[in-house]
Amino acid sequence: MEKVLLDYDWTVMAPEIIIAAAAALLSLADLFLRENTDRRFFSWFSLAAVIAAIFFTVSRFGQQPYEILGDTYRVDDFALAFKTAVLSGVGLVFLLSAWGVRQEEIRFRGEYDYLLLAAALGAMIMTSSADLITLFVGLELLSISSYILAGIHRERYASNEAAWKYVVQGGVASAFILYGMSFVYGLTGSTNLYTIQQRLVEAYQTGYDAFVLLSLFLMLLGFGFKIASAPFHMWVPDVYQGAPTPVTSFLAVVSKTAAFALVLRIVLVGYIFLYQMQIWQQVVEPVLLVLAGLSMVIGNTAALHQTDTKRLLAYSSVAHAGYLLVPLSTLGAVLFESTFYYLIAYLVMTMGAFTVAALLEREAGHGNISGFAGLSRRSPGTAAAMTVFLLSLAGIPVTAGFFGKFYILMNALSTQHFWIAGIMVGTTVISYYYYFGIIRQMYFRPPASKDRMRVPMVPALLLVIGILGTVGLGVVPEWAVHWIGDLQWMSALTPLNAGPPGP
Amino acid sequence: MLANAWVIPLLPLAAFVLLLAGGRRWKEGVAAWVGSIAVLAACVWSLGVLAVVPGGTGRKMEIPWLSLGDTVITMGMEVNRLNALMLLIVSLVSFLVHVYSRGYMRGDERFSVFYAYLALFTFSMLGLVISPNLLQFYIFWELVGVCSFLLIGYWYYKPEAKAAAKKAFILTRIGDVGLFIAVILAFWHTGTLEISGVIQAVQDGKVEAGIVTLIALLIFAGAVGKSGQFPLHTWLPDAMEGPTPVSALIHAATMVAAGVYLVARTFPLFEASPVAMDTVAYVGAFTALFAASIGLVQNDIKRVLAYSTVSQLGYMMLALGSAGYTAGVFHLMTHAFFKALLFLGAGAVIVALHHEQDIRRMGGLWNRHKGAGVLFLIGCLAISGIPPFSGFFSKEEVLLSAWQDGRWGVFAVGVLASFFTAFYMFRLFFLVFAGEYRGKGQPGPVSSGMMWPMGVLAALALLAGFAEFPGGWLSHWLTEETGIPAGHGSAPVWLPLLTVSIAAAGIALAWGMYVKQSVSPEQWRARAPWGYRVLLHKYYVDEGYAAVIALPYKGLSIFLRGFDRYVVEGLVRLATAAVQTAARVSTRLQNGQVQTYALISVIGLVLLMIGLAAGRLF
Repeated sequence: MEKVLLDYDWTVMAPEIIIAAAAALLSLADLFLRENTDRRFFSWFSLAAVIAAIFFTVSRFGQQPYEILGDTYRVDDFALAFKTAVLSGVGLVFLLSAWGVRQEEIRFRGEYDYLLLAAALGAMIMTSSADLITLFVGLELLSISSYILAGIHRERYASNEAAWKYVVQGGVASAFILYGMSFVYGLTGSTNLYTIQQRLVEAYQTGYDAFVLLSLFLMLLGFGFKIASAPFHMWVPDVYQGAPTPVTSFLAVVSKTAAFALVLRIVLVGYIFLYQMQIWQQVVEPVLLVLAGLSMVIGNTAALHQTDTKRLLAYSSVAHAGYLLVPLSTLGAVLFESTFYYLIAYLVMTMGAFTVAALLEREAGHGNISGFAGLSRRSPGTAAAMTVFLLSLAGIPVTAGFFGKFYILMNALSTQHFWIAGIMVGTTVISYYYYFGIIRQMYFRPPASKDRMRVPMVPALLLVIGILGTVGLGVVPEWAVHWIGDLQWMSALTPLNAGPPGP
Repeated sequence: MLANAWVIPLLPLAAFVLLLAGGRRWKEGVAAWVGSIAVLAACVWSLGVLAVVPGGTGRKMEIPWLSLGDTVITMGMEVNRLNALMLLIVSLVSFLVHVYSRGYMRGDERFSVFYAYLALFTFSMLGLVISPNLLQFYIFWELVGVCSFLLIGYWYYKPEAKAAAKKAFILTRIGDVGLFIAVILAFWHTGTLEISGVIQAVQDGKVEAGIVTLIALLIFAGAVGKSGQFPLHTWLPDAMEGPTPVSALIHAATMVAAGVYLVARTFPLFEASPVAMDTVAYVGAFTALFAASIGLVQNDIKRVLAYSTVSQLGYMMLALGSAGYTAGVFHLMTHAFFKALLFLGAGAVIVALHHEQDIRRMGGLWNRHKGAGVLFLIGCLAISGIPPFSGFFSKEEVLLSAWQDGRWGVFAVGVLASFFTAFYMFRLFFLVFAGEYRGKGQPGPVSSGMMWPMGVLAALALLAGFAEFPGGWLSHWLTEETGIPAGHGSAPVWLPLLTVSIAAAGIALAWGMYVKQSVSPEQWRARAPWGYRVLLHKYYVDEGYAAVIALPYKGLSIFLRGFDRYVVEGLVRLATAAVQTAARVSTRLQNGQVQTYALISVIGLVLLMIGLAAGRLF
């Protein structure tokens, strides 16, 4: 029986509806409020909306998967898990910007908040759709909002430059993705991933094998942009450095998580047959592993020479994208678990690091690493927190980052990819140099001024959340792993109904 | 109370965190109170646990910590009767030392740091005691080592303290390597890290006899390092450079007993291997005599006590090796009380004499500090084995177990060592308290806060023996439902007579030499100058190590330094140069031009396509 719109249970979309409504409400309020009204409460309102969305997302766990309109919208454990991560990241970004972006710095306070909400909405759609068109719309919603956010410091040259570079590069990436998708559509005549799954096999076996692979590689190139892996990472340092710090943290944490959700969904649903036909192991896996290794090497070596904190973290983000690509390439037994664990670990430690970076940027008036000098004497708590985040980013036990890396390494070793494990260990050692460089600055360099640094409530709260997450995941990784392992990840790979065949 | 016994170690940990956070802002009193109250709470809790702990395997609680494939590594706690007894001993002595330190460390610049270290040590030691698996045990084992290192080197500006801390760390590490290999071997051959699981596997005969022996010997290697047994004993006397309360807590009552505890905890492993039992018994007996003989001629009050500690730990090992499980644990308990008492007494003497430690410059303190004198005398009587003090009962059990195990040689060595013990302890006592004051200036007062912890310990040193006598209550309680034999029945009548008369002879000789002076020590010294020198230089063990190990090691290091400078460093330079070049290339490409960026991406695409084509062709 054909379902009509009202037959669907639309309450499953509650998180998306809340975010969309909040964004709409804020944009209207922004219109009607007088220009000089303080719009700082926008951030708190958005934060409340995000928390409500998290609540509705989390309460769906454990229920049957559900889909709307032929898989254009899906709630399965895969979607819920990634959505929770994305929303938590967005919540932390709002917390940071509620304090970190002052009225005088951003004149377009209203835009800032509802663009961030729109970007969050895009990210959410990317996590919970199994239709190429919807996925692409989500991706573009996220991307376009991010372009504007990167340039929201309109008077600042660096911010403008970042936005412009981001638009151009992001546009190129979107074009590649779209190009790849058009091949898929041409081969299968459908945008539904599960239909594609069936028909791509047929296409592959009937002489269109080159085009099937071409479509995958074109999309992978675009995805490479979005997850910031080498050699498509060139925009990352400039944009991370130029964008306002809360926006940078959004790009590092939320964009990356959503992009990984998108990549996992498209690749695993659409192209999983390559794995069963052994083509993946021969063609795709080596290429992906090379990209992963390249990201690790480039990210970790280029970071050595950086003097700007955000630029350094940008290269570190490239390196982490490299680590994250390993499970996807090898398709080991604990692919979802290790990827998702690493993403959460990356979320907490990176948000913490960016919070400290924002604090110091405000304090010193610049983003240079020399701002860390003598921090242990000016604010021992902040220095200790930053040390924890850096140790975690470097992958020192017993932190979240260590176990994240450990699981990925186990993944590589258990699938017998020793060379990538070697690169991973080697570049991790290189990364100690620049992470510990910051620690050295904090503890062994004299401070520029003797005054104690004041840490306001909100960033202090963020630091506490970061430390709790980083140390908690490190000390009892079993809890998180257990929870992640209990989720029905495989439900993402199977269709709920066959769906109507495409035109 | 029992189910939540894991809280006990967390109490001092909380104190540690508080003390660290409070830092130097807190006054001495506040820091001392925070530490003392936390440890007192732990002590009271331990007492409650002791009262209700069931026999046999006791109570266990674990949470999975990390799973690697099918193997789950857990963290948790296990409280059986042995653990519960240790919990009480550790927390009680620790509490008394916390109180005592308030007086001893008065005016120290890093007062709160000292208390933070003490709290951290107490946490680690309590954690060690309740560890259910070997990995957790090993983590805490290393942690107490770190605390010991920190506290020996507490006065880090003294070069001797720094050197002693380093020495302690390195020498115990030698044993730790053995223990670590034992942990890995046990895991490899039994598939579990649980102490009870390993024991079960061994008892079920799932492990080859040779491997069991190897594991037991390697565990014993760890115990040798930590408990200062020959040949790794040399760090313990040097560790006396630390503050005296630390010597009392760590290097007399608790941490050094961890080795003995480890052997007791894994006792069924040793029982399964006669070779391991022999090794433990012989090493223990030899150490007991060897260290006691060195103690005869030392002149530093704390060093005499340190050698006595080494010797008494030897007794415990001797007992365990002779199948005297309860005897070893019993002696561990009584020793913790009387040796802590002796150290705290020595600390009181040292404070009264303005940090003089050479017993040749002491004397006549009995009249000025009668309280301390009486308490110290109780300690001396206990360690010498005079009834009804606790040492008498436990030492007799130790010797009895050697006798009944048929180890005549070990028994004879134990008896001889007990003669030495009585002699050097009373030599110390008479030189410090009897005769005329030989030092400069006037002895000062000792605060009451330092006296009453000693009083409590003295009461325990006096009474602890009655836990076992008469009726063997302690051994029944300890071994109930564990399958370990409780004891050896009653002693032959002549044994207590022998031990008491031997001890009395030692005391009489000391009295004759140092009080009545009818026997001249100089004469003895002149008769065997060579022997005296050997003892004074502690059998030249340190010098031997320097010649046999350190010298060739230095030679090797010179060679290696050359190798390092020219070969390794060259490789390192090459590697860093490669990394630096990579960094320079990638930063140069990052020239800010979007055209370049796009070009690089396109090159990336081309390479991907080539990879695609290549992958399909080959």
